[in-house]
Amino acid sequence: MNTTKHWPKRALILSRVLSRAFFSNTSTSASPSPTFPLKHVTRSNFDSALVELRSHVRAADFVAIDLEMTGVTSAPWRESFEFDRFDIRYLKVKDSAEKFAVVQFGVCPFRWDSLKQSFIAHPHNFFVFPRQEIPLDGPSNEFLCQTTSMDFLAKYQFDFNACIHEGVSYLSRGQEDEARRRLKSLYKEQLTNSSHNLRETMDVPLVRVADVLFTERMKKRLSEWRDELLQNRSRGPQDQGASNDLNQQFQTVFFKMRPALSLNGFTSHQLSLIRMVTRKHFKDLVYVRFNGESSSQELVVFTDSESDKDRLVEEVKNEHYRRAEMRIHAAVGFRHVIDLLSSENKLIVGHNCILDIAHIHSKFLGPLPLTAEEFVSCVNKYFPNIIDTKILLNADNILQQRMKKSSTSLSSAFSLLCPELAHGFKSKVQSSQPCVKVEVHVDEMRSPDWNSGAKHEAGYDAFMTGCVFAQVCSHLGIDFQLYSTSENLVQNEKLQKHMNLLYLSWINGDVIDLRTGSRTAEFLGSNILRKRFPRILYENIVLIWGFPSKLKPSVIRECICKTLGPTSVISIYRMDQTAVFVQFSKAELVSDFLILKESLERSDDAISVLHPLSQLLEGGNTRAASYETYKDICESPVSELLFADQAEAVGIKWKTKLLPSDVVESQEDNHFHLENALDHTPETVEKSKIRKTEDVVNDSSNKQLTCNEIIDTLLKVEKIRRTSNL
Amino acid sequence: MVALIPRRLFCTKISRNCHQHQLQWSVKQVTKSNFNDSLHDFHSHLSSSDFVAVSFQNTGSFSAAWHRVSSFDCPETAYLKARRAADRFQLLQFAVCPFTISGSKVTAHPYNFHLFPRDELNIGMPSYSFSCQTSYLTAMAQQGFDFNACIYDGISYLSRAQELVAKVRMGNPIAIHHVVKPTSTPPSVADTIFVERVKSRVKHWKKACADSSSRKTDGERLMEKYTSFDAVIGNGQFLGFFFLSDNILKFVYWLQMLGEFSDDLVALKIPTKGGGTQAVRVVLTSSKEDKSLFERELQNVEEEQNKKIRGFREVIDLISASQKPVVSHNSLNDFSVIHSKFIGPLPLNMDEFLCSLRLVFPHVFDVNHLMKEIGPLENVTNIPAAISYLKNRFFAPIDMEISHGALLNEGKIHGQTVLRICHLFAKLCSVLRITPGAIQSSDDNITSRLGGYAHSFKSCSVSSQESVDGRIRIWTKSPRKVGCKHLVFLWGFRDSLSAGMLKSLLQGSHDVFSEEFDVCLVDKSCAIVVFLQPNLSQAFLDIMSSEGISGSLRELVSEGLRAAGYETYKRACGLGYWEADLASALDKASATPDCFSQSGSETNPSEVYWCNDLMINLATCEV
Repeated sequence: MNTTKHWPKRALILSRVLSRAFFSNTSTSASPSPTFPLKHVTRSNFDSALVELRSHVRAADFVAIDLEMTGVTSAPWRESFEFDRFDIRYLKVKDSAEKFAVVQFGVCPFRWDSLKQSFIAHPHNFFVFPRQEIPLDGPSNEFLCQTTSMDFLAKYQFDFNACIHEGVSYLSRGQEDEARRRLKSLYKEQLTNSSHNLRETMDVPLVRVADVLFTERMKKRLSEWRDELLQNRSRGPQDQGASNDLNQQFQTVFFKMRPALSLNGFTSHQLSLIRMVTRKHFKDLVYVRFNGESSSQELVVFTDSESDKDRLVEEVKNEHYRRAEMRIHAAVGFRHVIDLLSSENKLIVGHNCILDIAHIHSKFLGPLPLTAEEFVSCVNKYFPNIIDTKILLNADNILQQRMKKSSTSLSSAFSLLCPELAHGFKSKVQSSQPCVKVEVHVDEMRSPDWNSGAKHEAGYDAFMTGCVFAQVCSHLGIDFQLYSTSENLVQNEKLQKHMNLLYLSWINGDVIDLRTGSRTAEFLGSNILRKRFPRILYENIVLIWGFPSKLKPSVIRECICKTLGPTSVISIYRMDQTAVFVQFSKAELVSDFLILKESLERSDDAISVLHPLSQLLEGGNTRAASYETYKDICESPVSELLFADQAEAVGIKWKTKLLPSDVVESQEDNHFHLENALDHTPETVEKSKIRKTEDVVNDSSNKQLTCNEIIDTLLKVEKIRRTSNL
Repeated sequence: MVALIPRRLFCTKISRNCHQHQLQWSVKQVTKSNFNDSLHDFHSHLSSSDFVAVSFQNTGSFSAAWHRVSSFDCPETAYLKARRAADRFQLLQFAVCPFTISGSKVTAHPYNFHLFPRDELNIGMPSYSFSCQTSYLTAMAQQGFDFNACIYDGISYLSRAQELVAKVRMGNPIAIHHVVKPTSTPPSVADTIFVERVKSRVKHWKKACADSSSRKTDGERLMEKYTSFDAVIGNGQFLGFFFLSDNILKFVYWLQMLGEFSDDLVALKIPTKGGGTQAVRVVLTSSKEDKSLFERELQNVEEEQNKKIRGFREVIDLISASQKPVVSHNSLNDFSVIHSKFIGPLPLNMDEFLCSLRLVFPHVFDVNHLMKEIGPLENVTNIPAAISYLKNRFFAPIDMEISHGALLNEGKIHGQTVLRICHLFAKLCSVLRITPGAIQSSDDNITSRLGGYAHSFKSCSVSSQESVDGRIRIWTKSPRKVGCKHLVFLWGFRDSLSAGMLKSLLQGSHDVFSEEFDVCLVDKSCAIVVFLQPNLSQAFLDIMSSEGISGSLRELVSEGLRAAGYETYKRACGLGYWEADLASALDKASATPDCFSQSGSETNPSEVYWCNDLMINLATCEV
């Protein structure tokens, strides 16, 4: 899934299929590599797998991870655009991680074996499903599926049944704390008002004859049993088994070293009657409901004395508490793996893994924070060492050449850098470096040239990621003999400069540093082969939506150019069929445009109909605002399919959001004392500009002036047209 | 594509023995691979049957406790809730069963269609994404649902509305069959000139074509023409003419003029992305026979394409076209989903929805509603319970005859519900002494015997799955009818307060609570207070917003207690404030200026059957 995040899906699938075809051809000619599946982990084998994984991770030099999710973007306009500002990009990642579910989690610990001169990899493929194992408050467990992603997973034979039927569930840290808090308060409640409260609520009034008769019989039966016990005790406990009741409903057993009657085959009403009889008539008998692993058992237990009775009640309560705690512990489920990775402080390796990390944060640690900076500092606390192979591949010149301009997607990197592993034969193009050997261990099976071939299976993708990383390390000249422990690998200076850098967005190479939260636009002076986009000035951008759907971006451009000059628009970017970004050549044009639009909408005369912008405003639903509004809309948890609908759902009722006039108004009063301090700073310049536009806004409330303005622009248009015709 | 990829080694096969049904009927399972064959069988079964029962499996129904349709919902809010659920969640299987009742014998032909909203045409439809509730998926898994079969091999579909969009977006040429008569007004000079110009242009072009193609064999020409339209373009054998969409008149002349050459010319309309006709493409054929061949070819291509576009919706269209009465268990829920997935986006209000639905399905029976006729049922929430209820009280043996009996083998367990609906419906007919045979023969009979039951929607959704999560338990006392205006929503009280505790808190707080009233919790954050005396609710609301609030109520208010009438609740639903808890939704709604509730709601004061299921009668909707 990693590589699918920002790549056109169709092309990707094609390339995968082609490469798959390539594989199958070559592997038939080469000696068949032993194919055993990687370690699949579901509910049934989770506990044992976790124990093994624990030791593997402890011994590992690094751990590669990969996730498969039910989708990537919740609406087309939430896809990755080149017009995304840094904060918007994080909001998009956040939205994705919050809405979609993780269905597979690949974990592959790699350990250097100096005897074998090879890495030992243990690929694990966890099926994950957010089943609600214990009742929790809050909204019902719900997640989104993106149809294309599901289809994509299906094309790679993802096993949905294994996931939904048998997937390992989990609780986030927050959920676990909440569950424990609830349990504690429940326990405390029981302690404080047990004796008093229970008696009051439990007494069932005996109204029906049948109940009265039943109660009498039970009373008799219990007293017989008790008397028998007491007699036996005086005689000695030898022949207790022989005197066992014939009645199947009562069976004498031992409970916590005390004789007890196990009650079977009663209805819940009958049980409550027995409970009442026990409490009312027998001081030395205690009614106990004992929750076993699968079923619960009802018992009447004999106690020696009042203090023994109290002790028993206490014991049972503690037992209940322990069991509830164990249930919570079990419900934590897959998060134990995350806790393991975090506590072992191992180097985590992923491929283009910002979304993976965001999913880990939102599913297992806690809700994602509002800003990238907070997110990064939180991640850094739990996983101090993360390395992204996509960063590594793009940072190095020689590697770039070796990749021969092919994409840095995981599978192409794997087949190019690790041909022996990928295809089971030696690369024809002999590279200077030998391939790093990787031996795969799955349970008792081991193989030096393993290939399960199940692409887009998280466990296998994690394995590929780890292999690519090992190969890149060897390329960078890291001697695994020397750096055999994880700490040393982390400290390696050649890796240090790539450490904890992640692509916040691959589409225009925005990199975020997990240690500092700072962003590096492109990095480390490497020559990147792909095209760089010119720097985008976000203050020059206007967002327009809700215009007639037949308007093409080129027509919109024409409309605006007719009004604000032929060079006013640098570019138009279509977000979806209802919205565009317009990038102006100057920031002033943004406010000019917004003011003009606003005034056109307010005036209702013939001139405004003739205005070139009227084509854009047709239908009366065209809205416009500065780039900042896009952020507000992205922040919303709602995801409507079309941007125009989304804006409406977010509650935008205005047609035009004039730039900063409201900001000035709200700040006007308490701003004067800052005035001096801010003198000669860019902000003041900005502010004076704001003032000007505000004046214009105020003026434009005068209708006469508005018309004049419009005529002015019309004249301007005419002039432009004439000059361009000439 | 799939053939290239080796099957993963351990794809889970669903073990069928995990769930034992007391009744194991054989249901025909339909996926993408056998859809076309099954469709034919289905069609013939449908036309020979009297009724069609439907039931389906959704990926969820409500995101928060208060989003589910409850007894305090009036028809309008119930619809809004059903609408929201229908938009968010996805159908994964759809069981349809045409059946006939004759005496005590039911002849049923059950089909279970596996669906998946795959984007077959690569146009972002039928659905970009959908929500899943894990509890629903888990419940389906427990019933042995095969998710792999559904996602790998489910049938896709497009709604009627989506089909229109898709056709436009794909921009396939559409043959123009009948030429529109020109308007009666005499043509202007400009038009005449235009027509003459086009005429000569077409003549010219025909001649040129004849010259160039004489050098080719007929076979070659045919190939070029039929294999692809692009080839036709490339060969210069078409005449494209672009005109503005507003110039309809020219279009008409154009067609009229083409009529003169109708022997060997075929006109095709080329739609634009925006939806209008942008160009006409004219194709030259060699003879009259060739022309009809070409036209047939075009028609086949179009039909094939349409079939692909419609997918599973073909089944819905067949049911609709047959005009057979449709029987379902929870019709508001079911038909809002059917409307949203197969007809078009759900309208904003209930009346429009009912009108739109009536055009597609004129006769709808809700077995839940029919059950109401038998008695004020205290607790018949699901189909098995209803069947056993009837079994215990009435002697109405029903003999089920299933058409796919021969196909019985393991793995045919899905879609049993639809057969139980048939069974229940037949039983109900027998108990209510309705002779379903008569429905077919005379339309009057429908109105006289079943008229009262048809078109009724039961808005209270209570299926077995939902009753698992019984967080809201309202009233175990006798049901009573309560006007919406007697309900007051309360929120902002302490967490983990039970209804009883809240009630006792309120009891002493003010005089309005000295009379009889009731409290229930909607979710953790919000409660409903029901005043059984008239005007007290308004009095309470007035007190809550007045300055002179005093006593312990003042204390409660200062702690954050807030109150709002039913209108605010309706507004929250209408404005789509589907927050996780009702308290925040009401907070938002009461902050929004009251522009939503118009006179309509006041002239028509709604009532809810407090603690009773409510009916929404389609008959009140005027078309």
